[in-house]
Amino acid sequence: MDRREFLYGLNASLGSIALTAMLSEETTAQDDVVKVAHFPKAKAKHCIFLFMEGGPSHIDTFDPKPKLKELHEKEFQRSGQEQSAMASGKRYYVQTPFEFKQAGESGADITTAWPGLAKVVDDICFYRGLQVTSVNHPAANYHVNTGNRFGGDPAIGSWVNLGLGSENQDLPGFVVLPELSFPQGGPANWNNGFLPTDYQGTAFRPAGSPLLDIRPPQGVTRRQQRRNLDLLAKLNQKHAANHPQHEQLAARMKNYELAFRMQTQVPDLVQIDDETQDTQDRYGIGNPKTDNFGRRCLLARKLVEKGVRFVQVYASSWDSHDYILRAHGAMIERVDQPIAALIQDLKQRGLLDETLIVWMGEFGRTPDNGIRGGGVRYGRDHNPNAMSVWMAGGGVKAGHTIGATDEVGMEAVEVVHPLRDLHVTILRLLGLDDNKLTYFHAGRYKQLSQFGGKVIDQLIA
Amino acid sequence: MGFQSTFAGPHQICFFLGKLLIIPALISLASLGYAQQELESLRSDPEQIFAFQIHPILVKKCLACHGGDPDEIKGELDLTTRDALLRGGATGEPGIIPGRPPESSIYLAALRDDDNWAAMPPKESERLTAVELEFLKQWIVKEAPWPDAEQLKKLQAGRDPWGSGLEVRVATSGGLSEEWTNRTYEPKNIWAYQPVLAVDLSNVSEHPIDHLINQRNPQGLVVAPQADKRTLIRRLSYTLTGLPPTPEAVESFLADTSAQAYENLVDQLLDSQRYGEHWGKHWLDVVRYADSSGFANDYPRPNAWRYRDYVIRSFNQDKPYDQFIREQLAADELFDDSPEAMLGLGFLRMGPWEHTGMSVGRITRQQYLDDVTSSVGQVFLGQALQCARCHDHKFDPVPTQDYYAIQSVFATTQMAELLVPFQPDENISRFEEEKKYLAKREAAIAELRKTVNHPHKTANDFGRSRLSGKWENLYRRARDLYEPFMLGVYNGHTQFSRNSYNRFDKPADTKKGVLESTAILTGGNVFTPAAPVKPGVLSVTSVAANIPQQLEGRRSGFAQWVTDKANPLTARVMVNRVWTYHFGQGIAGNPNNFGSTGDKPTHPELLDWLAAQFMDSGWSVKRLHKLILTSQTYQRSSTHPAIDQLDELDSERTSYAVFQVRRLTSEELRDSMLQVSGELVNEMGGIPARPDMNVEAALQPRQIMGSFAPSYVPHPMPEQRNRRSVYVLKLRGLRDPFMTTFNQPSPDESCEMRDASNVTPQVFALFNSEESADRALAFAHRVLTDSSSDAEAIEKAFLLAVGRRPERDELKAARTHWKECVTEHQQFHPEPRVYPTQVVRRANEENTGEEFTFTETLFEYQDYQHDLHAHEVDVRTRAFAEFCLVLLNTNEFVYIY
Repeated sequence: MDRREFLYGLNASLGSIALTAMLSEETTAQDDVVKVAHFPKAKAKHCIFLFMEGGPSHIDTFDPKPKLKELHEKEFQRSGQEQSAMASGKRYYVQTPFEFKQAGESGADITTAWPGLAKVVDDICFYRGLQVTSVNHPAANYHVNTGNRFGGDPAIGSWVNLGLGSENQDLPGFVVLPELSFPQGGPANWNNGFLPTDYQGTAFRPAGSPLLDIRPPQGVTRRQQRRNLDLLAKLNQKHAANHPQHEQLAARMKNYELAFRMQTQVPDLVQIDDETQDTQDRYGIGNPKTDNFGRRCLLARKLVEKGVRFVQVYASSWDSHDYILRAHGAMIERVDQPIAALIQDLKQRGLLDETLIVWMGEFGRTPDNGIRGGGVRYGRDHNPNAMSVWMAGGGVKAGHTIGATDEVGMEAVEVVHPLRDLHVTILRLLGLDDNKLTYFHAGRYKQLSQFGGKVIDQLIA
Repeated sequence: MGFQSTFAGPHQICFFLGKLLIIPALISLASLGYAQQELESLRSDPEQIFAFQIHPILVKKCLACHGGDPDEIKGELDLTTRDALLRGGATGEPGIIPGRPPESSIYLAALRDDDNWAAMPPKESERLTAVELEFLKQWIVKEAPWPDAEQLKKLQAGRDPWGSGLEVRVATSGGLSEEWTNRTYEPKNIWAYQPVLAVDLSNVSEHPIDHLINQRNPQGLVVAPQADKRTLIRRLSYTLTGLPPTPEAVESFLADTSAQAYENLVDQLLDSQRYGEHWGKHWLDVVRYADSSGFANDYPRPNAWRYRDYVIRSFNQDKPYDQFIREQLAADELFDDSPEAMLGLGFLRMGPWEHTGMSVGRITRQQYLDDVTSSVGQVFLGQALQCARCHDHKFDPVPTQDYYAIQSVFATTQMAELLVPFQPDENISRFEEEKKYLAKREAAIAELRKTVNHPHKTANDFGRSRLSGKWENLYRRARDLYEPFMLGVYNGHTQFSRNSYNRFDKPADTKKGVLESTAILTGGNVFTPAAPVKPGVLSVTSVAANIPQQLEGRRSGFAQWVTDKANPLTARVMVNRVWTYHFGQGIAGNPNNFGSTGDKPTHPELLDWLAAQFMDSGWSVKRLHKLILTSQTYQRSSTHPAIDQLDELDSERTSYAVFQVRRLTSEELRDSMLQVSGELVNEMGGIPARPDMNVEAALQPRQIMGSFAPSYVPHPMPEQRNRRSVYVLKLRGLRDPFMTTFNQPSPDESCEMRDASNVTPQVFALFNSEESADRALAFAHRVLTDSSSDAEAIEKAFLLAVGRRPERDELKAARTHWKECVTEHQQFHPEPRVYPTQVVRRANEENTGEEFTFTETLFEYQDYQHDLHAHEVDVRTRAFAEFCLVLLNTNEFVYIY
């Protein structure tokens, strides 16, 4: 049978893992080993993609705009018809309620709300030149994840696995660690699109069983299941003898045996009990503010350590239209310590060099705010023309800030690139050439960037 | 049914040649007849190289930046004339030095590895291929001649020395460039635009399909014999109704030894109401049916079900396909006095779409127009029109002009929920019991709303306020479920920014707003309109259309063109779809794409003959089925007598020498389990059914814009839940994992053919899930109630599930298994299953970043009447249910032979 199909052929919210022990008797198929990258010298072999869903504000995190202090509460003039139609009526500039302080030897701009990240800024390359095209969450999520605003195309993790192959055939190559509530746009954010099912992202459910129906209903013992499987095998074998030309039969029978073994072993993988208390503390596990995201960051490290190519971790609710101090403040608190711990942990284990960390949302936010409910509640709306993205590890130009936005943070003005160029750059850092990483579908060779893009050289060391 | 075709002419004439000779729109260049030697000399002629190799590259990849407005030219390098090229750009270096490629800067730039010259074209995806680079080099070596405009035109009008010699030029409405308009095509790539060829089979005695299949059978390949009758009735039942035959139907078919037995069975199945449900589902796959709008809010489309039922009725009534098309495209213009026909307009509303407070009206309107244009292209014409949205089609003779001409047909089409009275054959019987629950939900939210609005809001207040506002609105929309609205359209001016938060009523003044005038949109961008376009059709078909330019009548004019018997695409596309569902593979391999990138027809004469028959039969889909199903080709066994020979002579399996096995689709699997267990409710139509879904998946929090969506809660009564899958609520944002695991496609893209993967989660779904356990238990109970002995029960179960009696060893194995299970189950005392009547939602609240919680009451679960459960039956039944579960998991149950 096609082992990849077994291992990674997973749907929607389902996931599947198999452990070495249970697969040791399986032979290894030729085509699912590590593939040679297009750029074999690239350092990054794995990617941890921290998706800040909702659109974090660059102005209140990594891109200080002192000019806004001057303009605070002055009327803002909207320009351009493609601007979001939200909060029509009068709008006013809003200064950031956060305090910026340069950090690290590189003197990176960062607000004091990020004490953890401030300690590792020298490992980070901040980028301020990115522009996207959609101001709606699901479309923008799809765009970031699949290169296509309308969804339906393969996710970046699927492409990376297509290009680099599997390093550990006992695990899916593309694992997603969503919040309890899936992001807007749902599982299509990690779909394999037109690529074979093998490349679908496997979402580990953060609550309940990591995979649906992994256990039989109450009262069905293992012995009973074995008995059922034996009878099934008997009936199927007889049937197969009558249909010797039907090749799927054997594969389907084998799936039942593999599933039987998996159901006792899978739940172990998502445990983090074997990590030291110190490690758990550093990730903020046990602290109600950081526990949720910290656990998933730690699991991401474990998965990368085991050879998973692409792990995507979601932190949702960055959509701070109102009360940004409170709302962004709390979000930052949730993720700051875990992210810093992740970077330090990977570094300490010698894994940071070969792991690319990407931190981004689906768009940035505006320097202005409309009047809502009769008052200015100091929030920010969606802004596709300016945002902050950062990367760390695997071959990035650490300790630098690349690109710039205008004096109010409305629009990127230096080293400006569309999203597809960032996609191409991420692939390049992972040793992949977007133009070679193609798949023939619906009449043409398709690629993550859709139509090709440019590597943003400034982001690469 | 007659098999004679109406047109007499030698059917074995060369397929393409025949067309080239008779179609005036095509200009064959083959007759220029160059000898090989002449060709060689032309190919070394640098002027020819320029005309056919260099000039097209310049146009496609260079002139956008290095042509046009002198002020805009990049690097001051102008590539529109030889002089300018020799002069070079801002660097002062010449663009080329004739005769010396290694010193020619544009050549070095194109090589992309020279330190002094930036790689050109800048886009990696446009880099010159090795072959193109070689031509560029050759041209420079040969002193880079640049024929003047007139000479160039003359050269390009001649034969391309690098082509196959068969290329043809086709007439279209014209591309954005002359190069595109004048380009040539390999005839095999434009087969679909040629008229349907008449195939004369008047002297053929065998079934025409068999004749047309056999004549392409690889030499010497034996074909599989006819399958046995048990296999055939199962195959037929599934292909026509999506359900297994009942044991009684099997017995009666086996007992009928008359010559008409098979044909009678086909008729009987075509007459069954289950037929329309099954074939309606195929159509709904193609048009992307869903009960919600997708995107950020996944708004409910409460009245979509009326279109779904219209489709099912249309198939059951064997509505002529051309009429079916006209209704879906233009019922309001053609048949506004027929409520039934009006329901067909739902087709124009099937795509995912929303407009929210965040959206820009012009953009979302354009998304709708693009979606409809693309959908019409795929569904009726088998054309990937969307490829021509930003540029002339790269491979097919579809100019951007045509894309926008077709789009212009819909430029006056406006979405609205129209009031159309419920018809006698629409199922409105379940309204009252549903309203009861809606009222409870509304009351709960109204209560909640009272508590959240006060000056000192906590995270909970913010979160609950947002959520209750949202739900209030959703429930208000849900009320429409019980009103005679339908998803429809009207002709009128466009009012941008109508928020899909609310129902779209047809405005009193349909001429308020903007009368849209369509233009070619540069780069597909609505804010950069270029040349205006009038409503039109796919010009390459050379079938004339009469489409008015005023507000009314555009769609009916277009529908007239689609259903014109001379239209080469419409009938072919539909017969190919029908064929694909019966055989698991198309005559043309991509039912949604008849363009050059789709698979070419394996049996073009057959496709044309079927298309002609289909039209001559009055576009009767049922007659088409009968034609196909009565062929020997369809009845062949799935086991080939000489598999090695088959592998050698037909490795691609395009010969139809053997029937291709297929797995049940997700819907067939679920429906079959329900039928076998005796639980299937054969009620037709009506508001969407909500069956049980894996509870973890059902209660998985689902984000909609700014909040959570209400939970999925199954209907309280078994007779509401255990309906056929075609009636199940289909939300774009919440898919049933059982169904998706078995490859139910996403309703966001048109599905031309189902996948059938074989993956481990399918085992979990079918072997471990409560759903499967419930079906197995009901199945066991049903059989035992009806049997007087163990052996009889086992036999009955086999007959129901796989349509045959067990063999002796199977019977023995089943008895042993049952006995052991009884022992096992004696030690287990099942408790009643507990259903959640509440669910607590937690999330970070956006205003505060703090957690908020909300408790949702799941009212239907308060009255939930579960299906038969383990605690209600004796040990013997529970033990037998284990055997029944095994049967439902066998390969024999899930594959059709």
